Amino acid sequence: METLLSLDWYLYGAILLLGLCTLLARASYHLFGHRVPLGDGVRRALRYAPAAALTAIIVPILLPWSEPASMTLVVDQRLFAALVAIWLFQKTRNVLVMIAGGMVAFWVLRWFIGWW
Amino acid sequence: MSDTDNLSIQAERRAIRREALIAVRPALIATFTWGLVTGVAMVKSGLTESAAVAMTLLVYAGSAQLTSLPLIASGAPLWLIFAAGLIVNLRFLIFSAALQPYFQSLPWYKRLAYGYFTTDMAFVLFMPRFGEAKVRGTDAQRTFFLTMIVPGWLTWQSSSLLGIALGTLVPTQWSLDFAAVLALMAITIPLANSRPMLVSMLAAGTTAWIAQGLPLQLGLLAAVVVGIVAGIWAESALKKQR
Repeated sequence: METLLSLDWYLYGAILLLGLCTLLARASYHLFGHRVPLGDGVRRALRYAPAAALTAIIVPILLPWSEPASMTLVVDQRLFAALVAIWLFQKTRNVLVMIAGGMVAFWVLRWFIGWW
Repeated sequence: MSDTDNLSIQAERRAIRREALIAVRPALIATFTWGLVTGVAMVKSGLTESAAVAMTLLVYAGSAQLTSLPLIASGAPLWLIFAAGLIVNLRFLIFSAALQPYFQSLPWYKRLAYGYFTTDMAFVLFMPRFGEAKVRGTDAQRTFFLTMIVPGWLTWQSSSLLGIALGTLVPTQWSLDFAAVLALMAITIPLANSRPMLVSMLAAGTTAWIAQGLPLQLGLLAAVVVGIVAGIWAESALKKQR
């Protein structure tokens, strides 16, 4: 949505809030000590939340619907390039190889789909 | 305090600084790579150069920055960007709880600073050395910590700024915003290191896919809740099996 992105207050508001996130997560216990207990149940829940959020952000980018609420899949170069990247990462465990290989796959597939 | 005492304290500090620098050096290569990738990702996901510079200097958290980029690009509401940033940063809450005893004797603004500059790298290198220490919060321990986080910050910021500069040179047709998604995947994949975690991520991914039509990206929050529940369920189900 270009209209929101072009608004300074939106962009800088987001950046300020994310800075606050960093401060809250990293310095809460430093500042307030253990007045907030961190029980075993909470710790367990906290372990799953970040991975769930990251997965939930990635999946709709790779497998978007053509229109909201239509539930029709759009399968394009992004999904296949991502699969190539995952395969490369499992093989090499190298982030740069993964990103570079994934991008090359993305460009080749895009060219191929366009040519088809 | 006599002069000889003072000299021996300084010698000890020097030795600790050297030890910390040796410990942190290999990690700085990884920090540099991530900073560069994050810098490019920010400008290629639609942030202006000045906004990207502000983001790297203020937020100083690669995974939260990369997470926020698709949300910002799609115009998600600010509260949701804040919530997602907090969730991705939750691991630091656990780090902060573990590190707090080492800094509790300091004034509040120093505790705040030590907390804010704590990275994954600093935590992972610090705890194996001092986690079992009999006395927590010695001057030596804090010197070690500080000697790690300063080069970490300098490396991250300089590589991020370099990435921002490089990113502006690359044409948009290269679709380097997809490199940001790949970088996010590189953070996410290693997290799938146990069966309950895998179950949790599959459940979250499925929920996010089904719920992507919901307004305000509420599917993201639904997916996190489903992911947590599925993970805890899988953990206890697998325990019973054994």
